[in-house]
Amino acid sequence: MYALKTLLKQYRRFVITSFGIALCVVLMLFLLAIYKGVADGSVRYISDSDADLWVLQKYSSNILRGTSLIPINQGNIIKEIPGVSIIAPVLFFSANINMPGVMGTVHLTGYDITTGKGGPPEIYKGNSLTADSQIILDRAFATKYKIGLNDKIPIKDDTLVVTGLSSGTNMFVYQYAFITLKKAHSLVGFPGIVSCFQVKLEEGADKVKIAESIRSRLPNAAVFDRDTFLQNNIHEMESGFLPMLFVIAVIGAIVLTALLSLILSVYILEQRQDYAIIKALGAPAGFIPGTVVRIALILTTSGMTIAILLFFPLIKIVEKVTPEVAAVTSPGQIMTVLAGLLIISLISSLFPILKLRHIYPLELFK
Amino acid sequence: MPETIQIAELVNVTKIYSRSGGETTALSEVSVKVCPSELVLLLGPSGSGKTTMLTIMAGLQKPTAGNVFLFGKRLQEFSKPELQQIRANRIGFIFQTFCLIDSLSVLDNVLLVMKFAGFAKDEALQRAVEFFERLEIKHLMRAFPQTLSQGEKQRVAVARALATGAELIIADEPTGSLATQQGMLIVDFLRKSCQSEGRCVVIASHDERISNFADRVLHLRDGIIQLHNPILS
Repeated sequence: MYALKTLLKQYRRFVITSFGIALCVVLMLFLLAIYKGVADGSVRYISDSDADLWVLQKYSSNILRGTSLIPINQGNIIKEIPGVSIIAPVLFFSANINMPGVMGTVHLTGYDITTGKGGPPEIYKGNSLTADSQIILDRAFATKYKIGLNDKIPIKDDTLVVTGLSSGTNMFVYQYAFITLKKAHSLVGFPGIVSCFQVKLEEGADKVKIAESIRSRLPNAAVFDRDTFLQNNIHEMESGFLPMLFVIAVIGAIVLTALLSLILSVYILEQRQDYAIIKALGAPAGFIPGTVVRIALILTTSGMTIAILLFFPLIKIVEKVTPEVAAVTSPGQIMTVLAGLLIISLISSLFPILKLRHIYPLELFK
Repeated sequence: MPETIQIAELVNVTKIYSRSGGETTALSEVSVKVCPSELVLLLGPSGSGKTTMLTIMAGLQKPTAGNVFLFGKRLQEFSKPELQQIRANRIGFIFQTFCLIDSLSVLDNVLLVMKFAGFAKDEALQRAVEFFERLEIKHLMRAFPQTLSQGEKQRVAVARALATGAELIIADEPTGSLATQQGMLIVDFLRKSCQSEGRCVVIASHDERISNFADRVLHLRDGIIQLHNPILS
């Protein structure tokens, strides 16, 4: 009661402080959402794939960074292994798109359209590929450069027609684009290679045994089960700039702790006489420190509430302005930030509580 | 002869303050006892040691030498939580500058101390209203201290000091910020409270007119009791 009434007594300051906290919280939520969006977008191609095994060139471990080149005819060897159902050869390479109003790089992915394996996780708009002259772009890329369905895109010496827009293919730094494997070979100039084989096994097949079999028949190949391959790519993704987002979020939290501690110290300074009165009147030892903590909790709770109200509209605005920024928010993130705020409230209260020791009831007797 | 129950007793108490310029002796071997149902006035000019005596009596500071007994127990034997309990339940304070909490209403100012004293909400409210009625400030219950006159503020402070049923009331210059008539009304109220409720009221003041209401007057000068006048028997 006393804590809330103290804050409401200076209503304007309470509102301004809450807004300040809200902006810090929005920053943290935003960074975490970007982190998750980029993380998801970077590996969704793999996590959504139903391939049981991934076969790459030896010493390659992921498809995000690094080069993997395997002769396409090695797919025939894999196909002969009992238990193997479908082989999907996929070729990855980066390509620049240069046209009026567009100067970007895409992670071109050539896949076999007869099996459909190795293609986009989800077609957001339009259709799948049916011809070599077609391309599927990531929706964020398309939105950013105002490219729509049926638009023509120049890649190297070729021109491709946009037949579909995909989602789950945004890696923030650049985005996937999908073409047929045949077109990919023609653009690269090497028809006999692929980056990997995505291997789908028959029902009940022994994944471990088949992986061993592939390794023994293809000594220059690296074979990964789905989970291991996913982890490799997550590890690769996390070793990039993403940890920086997390660090910035943590710095934001530290700054908020320091600011809140300062605000609470100012409150104590201003309420000095009140606290001396309360001490003189026989308040229990924990009352005033408890009041300081309650003030901190009220401020962070009101800040969090405002942040939630601001965050979602802000994200919509950011995604409109910079479509390649893919933000994904989950209840878990919000709970994490809430828990973080709780800890921040407690830590920021420590220093101001120490100052309370230097407030004496004798100050009231002049 | 039956022994008088004491509320507080100072025995050869000396208080010396150490400052950068040297030492100041605020009290020098003073001995005094205060009992229920009496109003004791500590009279003297500024710097005579009145406030020091008050604060030692209330357990807010310890003497440099001598013994202090509060409700029959040596001050040094009280633990911090025990002293806090004593101040919440058995001692009431009235300050020259009223010392009301601005962010709380008049009612909440009184309910706060009653909460410290362990009163249940309903009982606290009932007692608070009772004292507001006696002090004729019931209409100000929802008001905030900044909107009150000096006299009204001091009456709220008196309500706060008495509502918990405190046996010892410590009043430091309670009339210092008030007009004469208002001040004397406050002291008169305290006097009646002494007689009807058996409280002990100790007032520190330089206002000689309060002597008219006191059972005993202790004249202090330079930390020494120079004269001890029992006024009323």
